[in-house]
Amino acid sequence: MSLDLSKIIGQIVNLAANLKQKEAQRRSKIRHAVDALASAAADINALKQKVESSKTTWLVAGPKESIDLRQPAKECSTDYIAVASDGSHIDVDRHQSAHCFLINIGIAELQYGFNPGAELLSVPKLYFRDDEVVIMSADGRIVPIEGQLLGIKRSIEECRMLVDRLERPESSLPIIMLLDGSLILWSLAEQIYPDFVVNELLVNGFLKHLDKIRRFGPRPLLALASYISFPRSTEVINLLRLATCPHQQVDCDQYCSGKFSTRECDRVGGILDRELFTYLLAPGERSAVFTSRSSVVTRHYEANEINFFYVRLDREVARIEIPLWVAENEKLLELTHSAILDQCRRGLGYPVALSEAHEQAVVNVGDRQQFWNLVGQVLGEDGISMSSSAKSESKRARWI
Amino acid sequence: MDIEQAKSQKPKTKNHSERRIGEVIKASSAEFAAQCYKLDEAPPLGCLVKTEGKPGEIYGVVYDVETQSLEPGRRVVARGEKLDSKDEVFAANPQLSRLLSTDFKVMVVGEVEGKSRHYYLPPTPAAIHSFVYVCQPEEVRGFTESLDFLSLLINAKILVPVDEVIASCLRNASLTHPDSNAFLVKAGKELARMLSNDINRLNSVLKRLR
Repeated sequence: MSLDLSKIIGQIVNLAANLKQKEAQRRSKIRHAVDALASAAADINALKQKVESSKTTWLVAGPKESIDLRQPAKECSTDYIAVASDGSHIDVDRHQSAHCFLINIGIAELQYGFNPGAELLSVPKLYFRDDEVVIMSADGRIVPIEGQLLGIKRSIEECRMLVDRLERPESSLPIIMLLDGSLILWSLAEQIYPDFVVNELLVNGFLKHLDKIRRFGPRPLLALASYISFPRSTEVINLLRLATCPHQQVDCDQYCSGKFSTRECDRVGGILDRELFTYLLAPGERSAVFTSRSSVVTRHYEANEINFFYVRLDREVARIEIPLWVAENEKLLELTHSAILDQCRRGLGYPVALSEAHEQAVVNVGDRQQFWNLVGQVLGEDGISMSSSAKSESKRARWI
Repeated sequence: MDIEQAKSQKPKTKNHSERRIGEVIKASSAEFAAQCYKLDEAPPLGCLVKTEGKPGEIYGVVYDVETQSLEPGRRVVARGEKLDSKDEVFAANPQLSRLLSTDFKVMVVGEVEGKSRHYYLPPTPAAIHSFVYVCQPEEVRGFTESLDFLSLLINAKILVPVDEVIASCLRNASLTHPDSNAFLVKAGKELARMLSNDINRLNSVLKRLR
């Protein structure tokens, strides 16, 4: 039986009424946030000190530039190259006896200007060897790569494919390299994985690739950024909560333990960064650059410390994450800002290179089924029986 | 492959006079479809083309040309509102040339094996990925010396008005003959014989030969 929508419609009406009711409160919070931003920007050094001395239960953006900055973009170079990488995967299916997973990376390299051109390709790789499908510690502990960990592995492969694109004939054109989603491997910050997993995936994986890209810059002009559409982050709002806190040395546990909704900071808390910047920025403008104070970044990223800014596009505010070496190089920062705007303009609201990389990478439901059928067929031809679980067979047969 | 390298790679042809334009992507006994190597560079309607066959070369007439998205689920959208030309649209969106494809469909009208020309369907269809060449003027002239291929065209059941294809084919072919008018008169007589029971259709085709 499929979902009975007639039983849901009344609940959807209630959902709409609930959102409407919250709208006035949301607008009030945005107004307070704008005021808080202006007054906190007046003494940026005091704010930095307050951030450093604070003990909060939420993640706070680190201020770098004047936090109320509204920076228009420089004109984008007519000649530049955009390289984007995106991936999708087929996870280990525990209902199948063949233990393997697949990562498909899509690459789009688009050259603009005097000599326009495009290269679109996908690189699918099947992982099945014992040393490929698990992460093993020196003392023999094993963590299988599947689920959330496979998502991280995919992010690393997306970044590695960008490194591969560097091994091309040298070009004097500015290059913007784009990834989709966050450069911060958040799930590794949650301390649910042992250190050897973090070392393997982050320190010896993702960050090594970021280092290789970093060492290629700034000659030729090469910037790396990740693009987060419709971001849900609240780090800048949290910074304003901290700025509005009446205590000079903010300590949530000491002063506000057990208090909700009545704290001074609740006047701005509860909205998203993108809601603030949608109000504040004009189309094309970027916000100030902030640093991420996430524990995984401060602990491991070092020279690749993640910075971010928000940029107002025609249809949304996007969060752009960049490594420190891009944030602190004025030309690379300008290239990132202007090229992302140009990419969104060409891509009808979303960076066209990322969109095409996604199209190359996407693995749909039909592809998944065909993949498993092909695995079964090839194994069968080799005389290897591939049993699947009764549950999997039951879902496929759908008998009455 | 680098963009520059890719650009410098042109399709290899058997010799300099042959123009290779694409390869077979779908084939049956009576027709085949081919994908062009370059966007919008399909042979014209009615053009005589050839591809590898067994035992000889399969000859056919182009009856439909289509340019569309390579991926069925992706619709082409207008992009040039603020630009001055189609070329500017492609320069501003270089990915387009990789996402669009020009295909053409060909009705098989015979087979050429050495000096023998057969005006009937070959025993086996063209093989997928066989290269497709535009016939050279001397090949067109040689193949159309006999008009027996017209019977296959006249009886073809296709979505494109077949009489348009016949007329285009004959007009193109006439240019390769020393006396174009004499060729068209001869073709007109052959059509009159074949369409003797359908005067309206005959008149319609003959009007298109002028």
